[in-house]
Parts: sequence; C-alpha cells; structure tokens
Amino acid sequence: MLISKRAARLSVLISIVSLAIWPATAYAQSSLGIGAGEATVPSTGLFAGMLAWVNGLQQEFYRSLTGALKAMREDPAKLWLLVGLSFAYGIFHAAGPGHGKAVISSYMLANEVALKRGIVLSFLSSLLQGLTAITVMGLVFLVFRGTSVSMGDAAKTLEVASYGLIAGFGALLLWRKLKPALVAPAIATAIPAGHAAGGAGHHPHDHGHDGDGDVCATCGHAHAPDPTDLGGSEFDWRTAWAAIAAVGIRPCSGALIVLTFAFLNQLWLGGIASVFAMSIGTAITVSVLASLAVTAKSVAMRLSGQGKLGRSVHSGIEITGALLVFLIGLVLLSASLSG
Amino acid sequence: MLLFSAAPLSAHPHVFAEARLDVVVQEDRIAALRHLWRFDEVFTSTVLIEFDTNSDLKLDESELQAVATTVHESLAEFNYFQLVTRNGSDVPMSAPEALIADIQDDQLIILFESKPETAMTLSGKTAIGVYDPTFYTAIDFVEDSMMAVDNLPESCKSLVVRPDPDEAIAQNQQSLTQAFYDTTDQNDLSKIFATRLELTC
Repeated sequence: MLISKRAARLSVLISIVSLAIWPATAYAQSSLGIGAGEATVPSTGLFAGMLAWVNGLQQEFYRSLTGALKAMREDPAKLWLLVGLSFAYGIFHAAGPGHGKAVISSYMLANEVALKRGIVLSFLSSLLQGLTAITVMGLVFLVFRGTSVSMGDAAKTLEVASYGLIAGFGALLLWRKLKPALVAPAIATAIPAGHAAGGAGHHPHDHGHDGDGDVCATCGHAHAPDPTDLGGSEFDWRTAWAAIAAVGIRPCSGALIVLTFAFLNQLWLGGIASVFAMSIGTAITVSVLASLAVTAKSVAMRLSGQGKLGRSVHSGIEITGALLVFLIGLVLLSASLSG
Repeated sequence: MLLFSAAPLSAHPHVFAEARLDVVVQEDRIAALRHLWRFDEVFTSTVLIEFDTNSDLKLDESELQAVATTVHESLAEFNYFQLVTRNGSDVPMSAPEALIADIQDDQLIILFESKPETAMTLSGKTAIGVYDPTFYTAIDFVEDSMMAVDNLPESCKSLVVRPDPDEAIAQNQQSLTQAFYDTTDQNDLSKIFATRLELTC
C-alpha cells in the first residue's frame, strides 16, 4: 500500500510534467471560414525547435503531395511518386504532435505488451485511421455533398468521439491499475500478520514478469498485474481493440484533404493508395516510438531490480501510463470542444 | 530564449494563396486597397465539396455567393487580414461592403476592396501588410510587382519588405520578452512576419 501510494504520487507528477511539454492539437478553426486545411498552431515549449523542424518538413511534403496529385491527373504513372511521398508524409506527420503515438505508447507502458504486439497495435490503429478517412470522404462525397453535413463537421464529430473514447479508456485502465492498491488493504487485514509483513518487501515469492501468467492474483499485493493484461497467451485483445478504435476513428486531416482532391478529380485508386501509404508510414513511426517507450520501461525495470524499488518503479510506470492515456484524452477533448 | 524564438517558426500554414494588392491613390490620398487572393487547387477542392449544394461538382453563382458571404463574415474578426499603419500607428479600415468569390482554373479566387475609415493622406511612412494572424493561410506575394500602387506621387517611394523570420525576431528582441509572450496573442506576434508594402512620402 505504501509502495503504491508513493508510486501513484510519482505517477501524477510525471504525467503532469509530460503533459505540460506535450502540445495539444485540435481540429483547427479556420480564419477563412471555408474549406479544410491543416493549420499547425504555433507551439511553445521544450520541443518547439524540434517541432518546428518537423512542421517545416510536413509543409514541404504537403506541397510536394499536392504537386504529385496534380501530376497524376495528367499522367497516371505518377502514382508511384504519390505513394512514395504519402509514405514519407505519414512517417513525418506522426513525428509531430499527435494523439496516436501518445496513446499507444502510454497504453503499452500501462500494460505488459510484448514489442511484437505493440507493433501490431500501431499498424492496426494507423490502418483504421486510413480506413476511417476513406469512409468519411466516401460518405461526404457520395452522400452528404452540399448538404449541411460538411467534411469539417464529420471530422469534428469523429475527433470528439475519439478523444472521448481515449479519456474513457484511460479511466478504465487507471481503475484497473489502481484497483489492486485500493482493494489491497481490506485483503491485507484479513490475512495473517506475518504474510502481510512479508508483503512490505521481503516476500520471497518471485514475481517474474516473464509472461507465463503464474502470478498469484489473490495474494493482495498492490503491484500484482491484472492477469488479463499480461503478455503471453492471456493478452487482452478487448482492451487492445479499445485502444485501436479510440485512436483509429479520428481521421487525419491531411488524408481527408488529399482524398477530397483525388475523388474530385476521379483519381479513386490514387487517393486510396495515397492514404494507405500514409497509414503505413504513420504506423512505422508510432511503432518506433512505442518500442522506445517499452524498451525504456524494461531498462528501468532491470535497473531497479526485483525488490521493493523494482515493484515501486513497475507500478509507478504502469499507473503513469494509464494516467497519461486518461489525461491526454481529457486535454484533447476539452481543446476540441472549446475550439 | 532560444526555445521561444523557435516558436513562431513552427507555425506552418497548409493553405496557400497567391496574392495581389493594388493600392489606389487619388489626390495624394489612399482611396482603396484592392485585394486578390488565388488559393491552391487542393484547398479549392475542399471548398467545392463543402459548398456544392446541387451536387454537380461545380460551384455556380449562388454557391459562390455562399462562399463569399462565409469568408466575408469570417474575415471580419481578423480585419480582413490587413494591417495598415501610418508613422507607426494603426489606421482603422472599414469593412468591405462585399466580397467576390470565383473559381478559375480549379482555383478559388477571392476579391475585395477596403477603404480607410477616414481620409488617409500619404505623408510620412505608410505600411500595408497582408497576413493571416492565425497562420491558417499563407498569403504569398510571389513577386514584388504583386504589391502595386496606382498614381503614386513622384515624391514617394515604394518598397516591398519581406521580413526574414530570424531577423524579425532579432530586431524585435527587446519587445519579445517573456512578458510579451505571456500577454500577447498570436495576432501581435504574426504581424512582424507579414510581407508589407512601405510607402515613404
């Protein structure tokens, strides 16, 4: 209990610090009042310099992309140029401020997700984002064109839904992580004193987190991972799908804009190929960042060892991850609703 | 300070407009500013989809009128992307009565004319900047000749100034203090980067 209290306090601190340096982006309100464009709100903060560089690249890519789209209208063989540029755009776009990688990385911190699965999560969420963009644009183009439902409205609705889901999902993760700590005292008083004292740190039981799922879930240890969240055969696809869906139902505005132009010029294949190339590029970046998060976590675990400190660090990281998902959702949701 | 200097540069718009400004001078006074903005094709396609009420993949007169009205209303909040100063102080401009929208070669074109609220004689240094304070639209005067003056008195000189972001920050170093960032919104920050026409008489 003591351990998890300290861990929880540390988690809150880390989360707040992380959020403070993590710029929030939301569907930009257009000063022109028409059309869709991708405005990047000026950001200040620790990473402003790096973000400026990334944004500069994005702008270059955007210009090249629109150039490639126009070129493809004249010469269909230019499709490959478009696909290549879209792929690169995806890679760099995901490196800018965005919700996908933050949520997936935090989710992976909060759970014992094997690297391989993390990569699968990144790809599925990015591909779903591409699919959402194509569906939204298809509907807007074929069904809602000229009606009161604009692309901006559709994108905004999905954005709010996505952020709401992220916040809800974060709350659920957080509850799962904190529940053992909150429930533990009741159990601890019910078991023999000797055992309870052992729980304070000298317990000989080895909680190897190697994923074979043999953790005693009834011991009442605050740090005991929820078996359903463990790596190995009991990996919980239900929460994983929740993460994928929460991230994936928000289409990226770049993809929507490219699709509008492509569909309008009847470049159906080109538009769809471009969006999937973007998705794959995005997935690669998200995978790399999520892998970094997981690697950092396992290094921290190895350095802190199996003892009291190790368990503190472990539950601290997990609670931080869950809290981050929750707070990211809340920050984005409020920015989105007020914007 | 380094971190803050980088901030404005990170604002990169993704809507591009090639602009033209004609300053109309009558009897040594600025009578009107005529603006023309030609938007990029990709942005234009998103506008077309949004305003194509009759689903014919074209914008006819009434649909273009709707575009014009919407832009007209939106720009009011941003002084129609203009910043006019004379000898350093702001010159209030009255809102244009109307705005014209058209599509030529798949590009949206916006036209409007604005006038100073009170008679504005050309004396001293007059500066006219055109920019989107929200960084949403990149207003680009491709060549200096895209900022032109009709009937400029011979005694006046005209100069197109394109601030280099780094230099602009350096020049404004004193005013760009932490307090400036704390108390100022983007509007004040972005005007130091705007391309402007300077008339010295």
